[in-house]
Amino acid sequence: MNRRGFGCALCALAAMRAAGAQTLSEFVEPGHRPPPDTDEGGLWGLMDRAERDLKTSRFVVRDRALNAYLREVVCRLGKDHCPDLRLYVVRTPQFNASMAPNGMMQVWTGLLLRCVDEAQLAAILGHEMGHYLRRHTLERYRDARDKSNFGAFLSLGLAVAGVGLAGTVANLALLASTFAYSREQEHEADRIGLELMAKAGYTRIAAAEVWEQLIAELAAGTVERSQSVLFATHPEPEERLGALRAAAAQAGGAEERGLERHRTGLAAVRELIVRDELSLRQYGRSEVVFDRLLAQAPGDGLLWYGKGEVYRLRAEPGDLARAMEAYARALESREAPPDTHRSIVMVELKQGDKARAQAALDAYLRAKPDAADAGALRMLLEQ
Amino acid sequence: MIKLSALLFAVALVAGCAAYTLVAPQRQNVADVISVEPGMKWNKMSQSAYEGHVEVWTLDGLTLNTLVFFTGVPDGEPLFVPRFADKARMEKPPVFRSTMNPLEIQELLHATVARFFRTTLAEERNLRAVSIAGGRGFRFETRVVGRDEVERAGVFVGTVAGGKLYGAWFQGARLHYFERYLPEFERIVASAQLTGEAARK
Ligand SMILES: [Zn+2]
Repeated sequence: MNRRGFGCALCALAAMRAAGAQTLSEFVEPGHRPPPDTDEGGLWGLMDRAERDLKTSRFVVRDRALNAYLREVVCRLGKDHCPDLRLYVVRTPQFNASMAPNGMMQVWTGLLLRCVDEAQLAAILGHEMGHYLRRHTLERYRDARDKSNFGAFLSLGLAVAGVGLAGTVANLALLASTFAYSREQEHEADRIGLELMAKAGYTRIAAAEVWEQLIAELAAGTVERSQSVLFATHPEPEERLGALRAAAAQAGGAEERGLERHRTGLAAVRELIVRDELSLRQYGRSEVVFDRLLAQAPGDGLLWYGKGEVYRLRAEPGDLARAMEAYARALESREAPPDTHRSIVMVELKQGDKARAQAALDAYLRAKPDAADAGALRMLLEQ
Repeated sequence: MIKLSALLFAVALVAGCAAYTLVAPQRQNVADVISVEPGMKWNKMSQSAYEGHVEVWTLDGLTLNTLVFFTGVPDGEPLFVPRFADKARMEKPPVFRSTMNPLEIQELLHATVARFFRTTLAEERNLRAVSIAGGRGFRFETRVVGRDEVERAGVFVGTVAGGKLYGAWFQGARLHYFERYLPEFERIVASAQLTGEAARK
């Protein structure tokens, strides 16, 4: 991993020629691979290096079923371009996705949790593919160079190098893959995303829903809207939402949602991503996320467990009772995580009922005989 | 979609931890509430990326080993937050409650680590009761993989006195920087006393 070289590689890029008289107004050809001595080839080279680091990152989720599922969605949208695109799932609980000019895509697990169905996921992936198909990074780079604003572009590269020295691989790859697109490019990616969705048979209204959901979630958080990074770096979400809704309303179009496929595709990692969400302790936002998913799957034990955990961990007046209600709903389902019992132990201890805490501990150990925290729970009961 | 501030934060995390003073191997006061006797020369960070009721020491540099003392975290305060992050852009951090039991404090450290190190690869295990500074305390082991992909092993030892959390958390990059200095950490823990306003009555 030679990250120190990253900033300088970007310097070298400045000296490279633009390849021929090609315009960027058309989609790249399937199988596109720029000559290495061009500016585009230089950009690809940088991204290839970032991708090599990403490939070995401990934060990449390698579950085969999940990756096969996502690959299917990518190919359904990307069609002939599918072989040129590589998708990596990064275990980070925030809402984010990115596309590098060389075809390296990243999706964060927090985004997967926030897509209710496959159509919503397709909306994100389609948008990111839009950036790739129209070579937005290259366009941005040439634009900066022509305006002699290369310093701004370069300083970003140096920042990347700085992070590289700190050794944050996932950040490096992510940042490297998106040199902040322009507002026009974002709108264009939205339009292309909608086209790809329609051709693949997905309902296009899902693209508007993703933004609607995000706006609602952020409103439930503790960060002032004016301070939100997401709103600062993207077109006004309401404006974007309006455009997406209007586009989806034109002509009937396809209807497919893929709710069940999405659920099955994520099955192996669902518990993991729910836990990662809970670790963020963004109680208000998590509550909105779980409620939305529960609206589609009211009997989902894992989601009820997650909702219960939000309340137990927040522990404001009334929250313990709310938590217990949610755990009860979880246990009504067949798929409640064994940890539901552990959480009940914790709440009963909080409420000072040792007999019930003991009963919950017994149930926990029946459901999870090899529980690593059995000793710790017994210790609490004895205190 | 990209969060540039996260990047700037990561840069600041590294850039902002230069100043330190030497700690001699003799009885030392930590923030006037904990007294310990190290057996080696440590470096006390005068300003680290950790912000809160903490004091931070290291032997070989913060990326290799870190000793964080918790010097009386009061009810309603986080264990620590990143000093160089733009707080207005962060969700409110989870906070310590004086009514928390050891398992809840372990959960709180887990959540704090997830935020501070921006990692999903953190585990705690083997929580048990121990006697510390002449009173009842607890102890557990930690394992954290940072965004630098390096795995760090650690031990957290803590006690709640007068409604405040006191403790010490030692972390070292596996294997060398953890195992090698674990005896030194044990020595520091064994020598620990609560003093001043923290002294047990
Ligand atoms: Zn975009």
